[in-house]
Amino acid sequence: MLTMTNISKVYRSEMVQTHALRDFNLQVNEGEFIAVTGPSGSGKTTFLNIAGMLETYTSGTYQLDDVDVGRLSDNGRAELRNQKIGFIFQGFNLIPDLNLYENVEVPLRYRGIKAAERKRRIERCLEQVGLGARAKHLPAQLSGGQQQRVAIARALAGEPRFLLADEPTGNLDSLMARQVMELLENINKDGATIIMVTHDPELARRAERNIQVVDGQICDFKLYQGGLEKQRAGAEA
Amino acid sequence: MSELKPIFNALWRSKTGALLLVVQIAVTLAIVSNAAFIIHDRVTFLNQDTGLKDENLFRFNLYTFGKNVDIGQQQEVDETLLRAIPGVADAVVINQVPLSGSGDSTSFHLKPTPEQSRGARASFFMADEHLLNTLDVKLEDGRNFTAADVVYSEGFEKSASVVLVTRSHLLDLFPEGDGLGKTIYLGDNPFQVIGIIAPMKGPWLDDEQADNVALIPQVMAAPFKRVLVRTEPGRRDEVMQQVEKLLLASESERVVSRITGVDKLVLEQTSQDRLMKNMLLVLITVLLLVTALGICGLALFNVGRRTRQIGTRRALGAKKSDIVRYFLLENTLVSLFGIVLGVGLALAMSDVLMRHYSLPSLDNWFILYSLAGIYLMGLVAVYWPAQRATQISPSIATRSV
Ligand SMILES: Nc1ncnc2c1ncn2[C@@H]1O[C@H](COP(=O)(O)OP(=O)(O)OP(=O)(O)O)[C@@H](O)[C@H]1O
Ligand SMILES: [Mg+2]
Repeated sequence: MLTMTNISKVYRSEMVQTHALRDFNLQVNEGEFIAVTGPSGSGKTTFLNIAGMLETYTSGTYQLDDVDVGRLSDNGRAELRNQKIGFIFQGFNLIPDLNLYENVEVPLRYRGIKAAERKRRIERCLEQVGLGARAKHLPAQLSGGQQQRVAIARALAGEPRFLLADEPTGNLDSLMARQVMELLENINKDGATIIMVTHDPELARRAERNIQVVDGQICDFKLYQGGLEKQRAGAEA
Repeated sequence: MSELKPIFNALWRSKTGALLLVVQIAVTLAIVSNAAFIIHDRVTFLNQDTGLKDENLFRFNLYTFGKNVDIGQQQEVDETLLRAIPGVADAVVINQVPLSGSGDSTSFHLKPTPEQSRGARASFFMADEHLLNTLDVKLEDGRNFTAADVVYSEGFEKSASVVLVTRSHLLDLFPEGDGLGKTIYLGDNPFQVIGIIAPMKGPWLDDEQADNVALIPQVMAAPFKRVLVRTEPGRRDEVMQQVEKLLLASESERVVSRITGVDKLVLEQTSQDRLMKNMLLVLITVLLLVTALGICGLALFNVGRRTRQIGTRRALGAKKSDIVRYFLLENTLVSLFGIVLGVGLALAMSDVLMRHYSLPSLDNWFILYSLAGIYLMGLVAVYWPAQRATQISPSIATRSV
């Protein structure tokens, strides 16, 4: 459902050109949980941004559900982002002046969803991340882990087929990181395709498939078959 | 409307800047609407029809110091000389000059003193039978006075017995409109109203009875007198240059002074009003500019403060137009509160001005125009910052931690 062929991305500034991605090829299938690792500056965020249409690429083709992303206008990309993609950021990126309810509501409003349906979804998603009782709170009144869960609720509310997460646990301690990871695994079980950038090898191991990006290219990828099952068994024990 | 709710909530949670702006908009609205109203009032005043073509009229003073000059006789010689100048339409020796800003008025009554009766104040012009023609004012009803009606005197020992009046004055005395032909009194001197003249102003534009004018066929022989001359259109300057030499050639023991166009007298008389109008215009302009800058500045500040938030919104599916819309709606909210507060302030201010400076009460249309203007100006002022906000890349959301 997501196919990148020979994608490259060059950042040009006055003095230097940075080849953030070079001949990047990737095929992602529906329902996968992919962990992306790699050294700092290797192009992980660049890849994720291009996958999420937050940035345009320099050359190559990117096909998302039969849509040639390269042909979309700025508005077209915004619309597609809104409909198909949920984002989870390392810095949570909740809007500080909006309470949790209103934060989760943001993408739904851009989608043009009616008030009653918005309410239903927001309440369900906040419930799902365990924060149903705190809808009226402001982000600053929550811990980092809770904020990230709100961000996940916000990403889920749009019922996206794709969840893109850039180091979602990067700012969290290991306990909170584990909670967030479990949440993501559940979401994946419910059918969403997840691509997650992480520096944490333990978390990466729990994903179905690992991709390592080095120097703007996919270095190799290993399939951790059964990794997910192992993890689940561990959690139940 | 529901779109405004989260914008309002967000605004409310960090409200300091917005509140200041609300107050600024309110004060601006109050001052601008009142100032615009006063300007309009002054412009109406300045552009009023005086009934006189002041660009064709000029006046001068004539002071005779020669003890042996027969003033009464010289007066007639002067008038004949002036009327013969090429380009002169007509000229009269006159007690006071219309639109000059200085002169006399008096009250006419229905009965002679000391009887009590209805009275009405009017400014009065005294000259010979050329008066109406010199003023170039039409006779609307009745008859003009003739040479036979004119009384020549030293002072007030004799009095003319007929008078021409404006309809405004006559209606003050005879509200039924049947005043033509009736007799009215100045003190105990009777005057028959023989004609009604077209509307014209007396010496003062801001007088309450500026439209009440009486023309009396009487000429007093005094050493100091004023002369009013009407020229054909476009020939006033050339005539004005000849006057002094011509009159002194006829009789040299006198002084000709203050040869001045009546339009210039009007400008002098209205200089305060024009100054006020211009100052208020400057005030309005400065206020609007400062408010526009305030709106623009706060929006720019917010764009900077919310860079990450805007990038995140874009990542979550906001189009550029949604971002612009957010800023426009936010400004609409701020303006709305400013306007509600401002309307109250404007009315209170008008009330104070009314009581302390006897200004007419503020016409509500001016509040409406001003608030519409301020609102539109706010949208324009916020548009550029909003455009800058759309330039924020959605990738900010992942790039800034
Ligand atoms: N806006 C930009 N302009 C110029 N160069 C950029 C820009 N964004 C990223 N780069 C460069 O592109 C390269 C890839 O950056 P990217 O953020 O994708 O790395 P990353 O793998 O996410 O690193 P990290 O693990 O530190 O987050 C880096 O060399 C970076 O300096
Ligand atoms: Mg990164």
